[in-house]
Amino acid sequence: MKILSIVTKLSVLLAILLLLSLLGYAIFGNRVFLKSSPIVGQQASDFTLELFNGEKIKLSDIKGKAVLLNFWASWCIPCKDEAPALDAAWKKYKDKPVVFIGLNVWDDKDSALLYLKEFGGEYENGMDPKGEIAVEYGVGGVPETFFIDTSGKIVDKYIGPLTEVIIDYFLGKALSQDHGITKGVN
Amino acid sequence: MINKINFFKKTFVFTTSISFILVLLTFNTFADSIDNQIREISYLLMCPVCQGQTVAESNSELATQMRAIIKQKLEKGESKEEIIAYFVNRYGETILGAPPPKGANWLIWILPALALLFGGAGIAIFLHKSKSEKDKRKTKAIFNEPQVQAESKYLEKLDEELKEFES
Repeated sequence: MKILSIVTKLSVLLAILLLLSLLGYAIFGNRVFLKSSPIVGQQASDFTLELFNGEKIKLSDIKGKAVLLNFWASWCIPCKDEAPALDAAWKKYKDKPVVFIGLNVWDDKDSALLYLKEFGGEYENGMDPKGEIAVEYGVGGVPETFFIDTSGKIVDKYIGPLTEVIIDYFLGKALSQDHGITKGVN
Repeated sequence: MINKINFFKKTFVFTTSISFILVLLTFNTFADSIDNQIREISYLLMCPVCQGQTVAESNSELATQMRAIIKQKLEKGESKEEIIAYFVNRYGETILGAPPPKGANWLIWILPALALLFGGAGIAIFLHKSKSEKDKRKTKAIFNEPQVQAESKYLEKLDEELKEFES
């Protein structure tokens, strides 16, 4: 009878230890090395985007400049929240080696054009009707923004509405090519 | 001469029909196999914008686009593993319906089995303990019953009288 109770005690102890180790890993695990997007740090996939004004833009043609690639949709409320910051930042950076590209996804053209009329977005904006670019960049929602450095490497991915401070921070990184992985923002 | 021409005509029509049917059958089989492969692969991938739905189950625009991309890649001759790797390289391992059994992921595969093992053992121990305690209580109760107690008194008296008689 005594042996049985020892086995019970040991199994309970083992279960508690296992749960504690899992909890410890969840709380104290070194997450600096965990990136939410596997494409951060990799060369940005090339694409050709047909802009709303009928022109075309090819990513590989703008090498040597930092790129802010913003995925958005007209029905997305956080996209409307970030629109003034994007517009202000574009005005601030338009004379610097930075290109802003807006990529409309999961939307219809009329709604997208109406949105642009209302919320600005004077920079390059086009549609990805088949979602091929969105999937290529692992986009799982809007707004999502990628920051590409002057050599064409994706240095950061930001999920959620941008602010001017956030844009300055990441564009500063993309321009200075400081590729350290930032905790909590990737 | 006319008979010969008729024979050639019939043969030509017959051969063309058979070829046409064969081409149709081949095309159908190919389309079926592609559809099955799309379904198989999209069941292994979770829809990034849905709650607990796979790419096969979801009607979202992204899931539809992902299925179209899977089809394109299959038609290009890419294997199932290559296509899954393509999505994992872009969305991370969270896109997989089941985590691959490696590293800390092993815990997810082992823990249910361990829980069953330890849980089963715990229940067995509990049942064993409660059964032996029940048996004990039952035995005690039998010996504590008034009839048994009275009988044992008579037996003791009988023993004493027998001893006296023998001596």
